[in-house]
Amino acid sequence: MRLAAVIDATVTIPGLKELAMYRSSASIPFGGRYRLIDFALSNIVNSNLNSVGIFASQQSVSLMDHIGSGKSWDLDRRKNGLYFLPTSQREGDHLSVGSFEALEEHLNFFHKITQPYVMVTSTFCISQIDYNDMLEKHLASGADITEAVCDEACMKAYILSKELLMQMIKNFREERVVSVEDIVNLKKKPYTFAQYEYEGYFALINSMESYFNESQALLSKEVWLRLFLPDRPIYTKVKDEPPTKYMKGSDVKRSLVANGSLLKGQVTDSILSRAVSIGKNSKLEKCIIMQKCVIEEGCDLLYVIADKDVHIKAGSIIHGTKEKPVVIRKGSVVSEGDAV
Amino acid sequence: MKKQIVAMLLAGGQGTRLKELTYAVAKPAIPFGGKYRIIDFPLSNCTNSEIHTVGVLTQYQPHLLHQYIGLGTPWDLDRRDGGVTMLPPYAEADGIKWYDGTANAIFQNLKFLEAHDPEYVLILSGDHIYKMNYMEMLEFHKKQQADVTISVIEVPWEEASRFGLMETDDDMQVTRFVEKPADPKSNLASMGVYIFNYQKLKEYLAADAEKEESSHDFGKDIIPAMLESGEKLVAYPYKGYWKDVGTVESLWESNMDLLDLDSGLVLHDPAWRIFSSNRQLPPQVVTSTCDIQESFVNEGCIVEGTVRRSIISQDVHIKEGAEVSECVVMEGVVIGAGAKIRRAIITPNLIVPDHFELKKLDGEITLMTRNTIADWEGSEDNAVSSGN
Repeated sequence: MRLAAVIDATVTIPGLKELAMYRSSASIPFGGRYRLIDFALSNIVNSNLNSVGIFASQQSVSLMDHIGSGKSWDLDRRKNGLYFLPTSQREGDHLSVGSFEALEEHLNFFHKITQPYVMVTSTFCISQIDYNDMLEKHLASGADITEAVCDEACMKAYILSKELLMQMIKNFREERVVSVEDIVNLKKKPYTFAQYEYEGYFALINSMESYFNESQALLSKEVWLRLFLPDRPIYTKVKDEPPTKYMKGSDVKRSLVANGSLLKGQVTDSILSRAVSIGKNSKLEKCIIMQKCVIEEGCDLLYVIADKDVHIKAGSIIHGTKEKPVVIRKGSVVSEGDAV
Repeated sequence: MKKQIVAMLLAGGQGTRLKELTYAVAKPAIPFGGKYRIIDFPLSNCTNSEIHTVGVLTQYQPHLLHQYIGLGTPWDLDRRDGGVTMLPPYAEADGIKWYDGTANAIFQNLKFLEAHDPEYVLILSGDHIYKMNYMEMLEFHKKQQADVTISVIEVPWEEASRFGLMETDDDMQVTRFVEKPADPKSNLASMGVYIFNYQKLKEYLAADAEKEESSHDFGKDIIPAMLESGEKLVAYPYKGYWKDVGTVESLWESNMDLLDLDSGLVLHDPAWRIFSSNRQLPPQVVTSTCDIQESFVNEGCIVEGTVRRSIISQDVHIKEGAEVSECVVMEGVVIGAGAKIRRAIITPNLIVPDHFELKKLDGEITLMTRNTIADWEGSEDNAVSSGN
């Protein structure tokens, strides 16, 4: 394989701050059983790339916990495999993908890998892109840098030669550029640029609004059929939850449900992560309920995003709106009448 | 390296009473609970009991079992020291020796045990659904200073004659062991779980191997021989859920027990996880036309129809208008639109045609295979196909 992968997980996404308070934005849950980084990693694995450097921000405990040795992605290799490359820099510095400051800290990674080309990507663009195909088009184009685009939207994935990337890292201060994305956006001379047209599922998650809307979009059959492809599975950290149990009186419709949950209430147009408990006579509509949340009896939730380990006590009524869903922070306990 | 205890898991059984389910796989590899295989239960019990050295004895249709268990990673049994070792029959200078009886299978692997030089050997079988802490049983064994401890469970008196029964004194010392008696004097059934002092086990296995008339079986030969010689046999009273899933009926019942809050079989328990080799599948999708009540549904499923009191394994598609009730639906099955099925076990990857109806006698559990569909009167109108 001639292509190595760099996942830049150091990028701060201001719009997702609410979900990234206790975790790296790369490990924000999405789609019921995944973290954002799973999609980039799965594309890498499904494209048969086997050298991956994850450049992580300071707040990387949750990300490290999730990735581990890379076993779930079959990246725990003797030869090549996964490299976890945390930055020592402050949080909030990087707003674009392929930050030279972060890459510079781990020049050794680039010396070590044997692949002549590097694909640089982010964690907040979800797609089923085939990086091999992209590399072929890149080579055919003769350009210095190829950028992936979908319907004219930038997918924040770039391919260039390792040699060129290392040269950019060396010179970025004099050149007054900050990242690969920056260079592409400026169409910086003397480099030549090409675009790789991707067709397929694509979602850019860069605000609470897009996070909520793209989650809701997944409930439509046309959309999930394009994301969940049987021959290109999305890999994530393996858990040992039993199947989800639908209890007597439950009424769950038009939803995505992960394993390990106990469902007694009424759920529509929602995404339920692993090991969630929904109490009797509770009603959830247009909600995203993350791992291990407990919703007790008789609750009424509309447009609510409940982060991991949230406990909502019996009888609570929480209504958000499509434009502004209510976000309940990780680990919070909400009682009836609490302002949220 | 010397080990306190080594587990030997007998997984070579064919399970002929499970009919077509065991044509291609050994009984311990039969799917259970929408996600598991039967062997996940004893293996996870070992993991949870912190027994880290496990030999798995295979013989009948071993391929899937060997592939499934692999290095033992899902059960944390991929260890530098110990871990899981697959023990199929092997060849020696004088030819291949198939395992001939449960005791013979262990006897032929004494070299494996010898290498670990354990104090105690735990004998398990791969065809029971239960959650048990073997360490508590070992503590009991040590406290009683027994030569062998046999785990027993109280069964209803009316069913007692189906089991091997232990008669005990007040100190739980076994005074008599009878296999399936017509007139039971005890309702303590052997669970097929034994802890032996290794040196005693070796001694009796060697003696048994010399006896030509022996069937080389733990229940029929080893235990009676030890009892006769006056060794100390103790019954360990296990409390909790335990089921032998040796028949289509009992396999179905045990699956249904998952839906019964009072059955004692609880899998949603983080403190005693049943580990399994997980496939990477998307979350289950339930659509606006679905109606699911009192059921287990695993990942990768698409449910558009009605599901009542059923166990739905991974990657199953239940199409619109289909009705599935009191069924165990195994991996990869497609239930066609408008099909109606009640009280059945549906074997893996079966494609049930649209509007198929299972007409059957009440009470009886159908093991649904390709033949069931071929026999269906509507079958000619439907293109019936099935994967493997």
